[in-house]
Amino acid sequence: MTKWYRENAPISAENLTDEWMRLKRGSVTRRHFLGVTGLGLAAAVLARQPGLFNSTAYAEDLGTTMSLATWPNYHDPASFEAFTAATGVAVEVNVFGSNEEMLAKLQAGGTGWDLFVPTNYTISTYVKLGLIDPLDMSKLPAFSQATESARFTSEGAIDGTTYALPKNWGTTGMAVNTSKIKTKIASWKDFFEVAMTEADGRAMVHDYQLTTIGSALVSLGYSFNSVKPEELAKAEELLIKVKPHLYGINSDYQPGMRATDAWMTMCWTNDGAQLNRDMPEIAYILGTDGGEIWTDFYAIPKSAANKPAGYALLDYLMTPANAVKEHIANGAPTTDSRVLALLPADVTANKIVYPDEASLTKLEFGAAVTLTDPARAELMARFKSA
Amino acid sequence: MTAAPGNDIEFRSVTKRYGSVTAVSDINLAVPKGAFVALLGPSGCGKTTCLRMIGGFEQPSEGTVQIDGREMNGVPPYRRPVNMVFQHYALFPHFDVEQNVAYGLKQARPKLPASEISARARQALEMVRLGGFEKRRIHEMSGGQQQRVALARAIVNKPSVLLLDEPLAALDKKLRTAMQIELQTLQRELGITFVLVTHDQEEALSMSDMVCVMNAGRIVQMAKPQDVYDKPADLFVADFVGKTNRIAATVEPGGATLRLSNGTALAAGGKTGLKPGAATVALRPEAIELVRQSNGSDSQLIGIVTHRIFLGSTAEYQINVDGLGDFLVTADRRSVQESDLVEPGERVVLTFDPGKVHVFPA
Amino acid sequence: MRPDRKRQLITAALVAPAGLWLFVFLVLPFMAMVVFSFGERAPEGGYQAAFTFAQFANLPSRAAAFWNTLMIAPVGAFLCLIVAYPVAYYLAIKSNPKYRLVLVSLVVVPFWTSLLVRTYAWMYILGSRGIPNLLGMIGIEDVRLLNTPGAVLLGIVYGYLPLMIMPIYVSLEKLDRRLLEASADLGAKPVSTFFGITLPLSLPGVMTGVALVTILLLGEYLIPQLLGGGKVFFIGNALVDLFLQSRNWPFGSAIAVTLVVVVVIVLSVAMRIAWKVSGSRQVDLV
Repeated sequence: MTKWYRENAPISAENLTDEWMRLKRGSVTRRHFLGVTGLGLAAAVLARQPGLFNSTAYAEDLGTTMSLATWPNYHDPASFEAFTAATGVAVEVNVFGSNEEMLAKLQAGGTGWDLFVPTNYTISTYVKLGLIDPLDMSKLPAFSQATESARFTSEGAIDGTTYALPKNWGTTGMAVNTSKIKTKIASWKDFFEVAMTEADGRAMVHDYQLTTIGSALVSLGYSFNSVKPEELAKAEELLIKVKPHLYGINSDYQPGMRATDAWMTMCWTNDGAQLNRDMPEIAYILGTDGGEIWTDFYAIPKSAANKPAGYALLDYLMTPANAVKEHIANGAPTTDSRVLALLPADVTANKIVYPDEASLTKLEFGAAVTLTDPARAELMARFKSA
Repeated sequence: MTAAPGNDIEFRSVTKRYGSVTAVSDINLAVPKGAFVALLGPSGCGKTTCLRMIGGFEQPSEGTVQIDGREMNGVPPYRRPVNMVFQHYALFPHFDVEQNVAYGLKQARPKLPASEISARARQALEMVRLGGFEKRRIHEMSGGQQQRVALARAIVNKPSVLLLDEPLAALDKKLRTAMQIELQTLQRELGITFVLVTHDQEEALSMSDMVCVMNAGRIVQMAKPQDVYDKPADLFVADFVGKTNRIAATVEPGGATLRLSNGTALAAGGKTGLKPGAATVALRPEAIELVRQSNGSDSQLIGIVTHRIFLGSTAEYQINVDGLGDFLVTADRRSVQESDLVEPGERVVLTFDPGKVHVFPA
Repeated sequence: MRPDRKRQLITAALVAPAGLWLFVFLVLPFMAMVVFSFGERAPEGGYQAAFTFAQFANLPSRAAAFWNTLMIAPVGAFLCLIVAYPVAYYLAIKSNPKYRLVLVSLVVVPFWTSLLVRTYAWMYILGSRGIPNLLGMIGIEDVRLLNTPGAVLLGIVYGYLPLMIMPIYVSLEKLDRRLLEASADLGAKPVSTFFGITLPLSLPGVMTGVALVTILLLGEYLIPQLLGGGKVFFIGNALVDLFLQSRNWPFGSAIAVTLVVVVVIVLSVAMRIAWKVSGSRQVDLV
């Protein structure tokens, strides 16, 4: 059991074998690469054996197993081990590649998930489709609304009803190998320009319309979430102009960056922190002209088979003492000031994880319509097939 | 080194080994031009290996094979002036009859004109009486017809030697007999050397003018068919070619008398130089005459008829001779009066010309 | 019960499991696809019942994907063939029969590992730390091999080679050696024997291999994604995006149905050609 955890810990060594193992474990970069490869359906069953004694805090019958749908590399496996020891409930972890895939799976039914991790812009869709229930806050005593930063939690509530609790937040920026690229890159405008010049053949964009089109829009001075046809047309023009110069269109950009096949990429906070930790020459930059900020939430599906256990695990993860371990393990910034206070100084001082407030002001949260807009989907298809 | 003129094929001290197995052992063989030679022997005797060494599909481990006076060691099949009719014919299934026959002509360099190829292919098909079958697919042809296609294909290049590997084995008896005559005719018409490999002694005797009997990788006897039959070189030949009654015997001191194992004494006839001691006496079934009354001859045995098998023009009898076991006797019905035919259960006298007895050291 | 009736029942009983499997997991889903392809995308994605030809009318928007796929599939299959034939020929005709089984197994062994993992291995071989690194040591700097069309073709040839080798091997192995001897005997040099006899008679295997690889390539998305950097867009990639990203199931269904139709046409034409050329009635599909 512990071996599994160790192997699933974030990558530290750079060598090929490790990256190879990383692939074998399916712990590739978040989002849809897993969807693309089909590995996302891989599931790991954790800590099957019941605990020696159960905590009295959980009065309800929690059963013996529960199921969690989440992103790869997104938890400290020790948390689940401890949860199992405390409650006797084994946690089955299903990892997914994209929000769309999670949505498709939940919509199809029969998932058996008791807790899952949707991103901010999908919550209203889940509510609209009746796939998640309002949370019974009485079962979540560890959650403290007062210590949460409202910026990151607002999308968990719709019309005053709380449907989801924040897990962590993050940004979508640029990872740049500064030993290869000498031009100073500060904005998305710089990103696309350098991609066609100094980093010709060495830049990567996500295989994800939300961020790729969004960033192109931002570089042109438009909103990350724009669905205006004329603005999208401009973004398309830019993307198609850039495409021949790109190294790849792929959301699994860590291998390319680590091998220095790619010198520059669109990048999520966690990956940026990991790349920078292992290769200090790789800088993580937020666009001065804007970009995306996001929050991942915990929600309980209406179809959950074991809701009591879902609530129990959620409450467990909301407990600051437990949450702090999670944050140390996965590197994403917390939304809860109680957790922030417990984090070691070297974590909170990391500007990649906790950037200055000033650099966040221009960032936008993705909107539900941005993700589901058919015009943007078609634009992405034209870009990829161009 | 050149072969003696007049020899199409010459084997000089040829040995062929496959790993630790010796298939052909120190063979010397000369096939005169225009001969029809049969390599006869049981399976595994090395006859096919010999044929394949002539064709170039195998190379001798030792010794040389010469064709037309030229040493052939290392020369690939496509550079040899021989063609082969393969066992089961090996016709090309994706070609029609004419394409099969024309295949060899198409390999000629410089290329032959298409009209000549077609004319010669048709001519070869006429020779094997398959005119009109040019456009047939191979799988639409009967076994006998396929045999002829294979023949036509092999002779179309006018080889100096034609090799035939069990060519008639897959045909029924009637067709086989007909093809035997056809092959003989064809050989005379073409005037080229035929080398036939067969395990069927009847086929070998009926077609060839020279039979080469092989056993265990060696040539046991090479002679005209009638000599192989009448004067077998050893007991193996006597046994393998035709049918033979074998009798254990002893040559008495002096070599003039044979004593059979049941005590009967036989005059050795005209035979000289028989070494005293244990011997095996071989006697052809047709050399024995059955009579009801003893004629007083020395060379006679007495037995009871146990079976009679009519074979049309001949009849075969199985006769149990006292102390010697079963004898096979063939009677030619044309030369025997109906009333002289003996019946099972009858007690008969077996008489024979002592000169027709073969004696081999045991 | 009459014997022939009994025999029919036994046949039916033996075929039933496979038939049922095919019906439940192939025919039914395909019918669902056909139904979906006439539907509409729901506002949040997925399928919404309707009867419209809009999805099929929209096919031209994926013309590039169709074009890329229909170009790369035959080219990839042909390259595979060029590499596979000599290997199959060696295995079936030239190799020592004693070691043949071992050698043939070696062809199959890579299948024991997932194609994904093997393709990832190529990412490292072609990536900066692989061959370009070695080239750097002899002074050829900054060569980029990964994420190029050449890398995609290499990956395709590598990945599909066993599927091409095996049918060709089988057809060559079945080939009566005496036909080759007969050809040589009739004066054909080895090259003539190969083009006159060996190649035509192995054509069913060749066509099977080409059809197999072409069909699978028509649905390929992993190799262009991993070795082409996602810049080479195949039908497979378009389908993944439509089903898992933009969740436009009806349009994805229309593309999938169209792809199936294309595959069936390609297959029947290929088999007819093989049937004609080889003159043999035994054109095995696999």
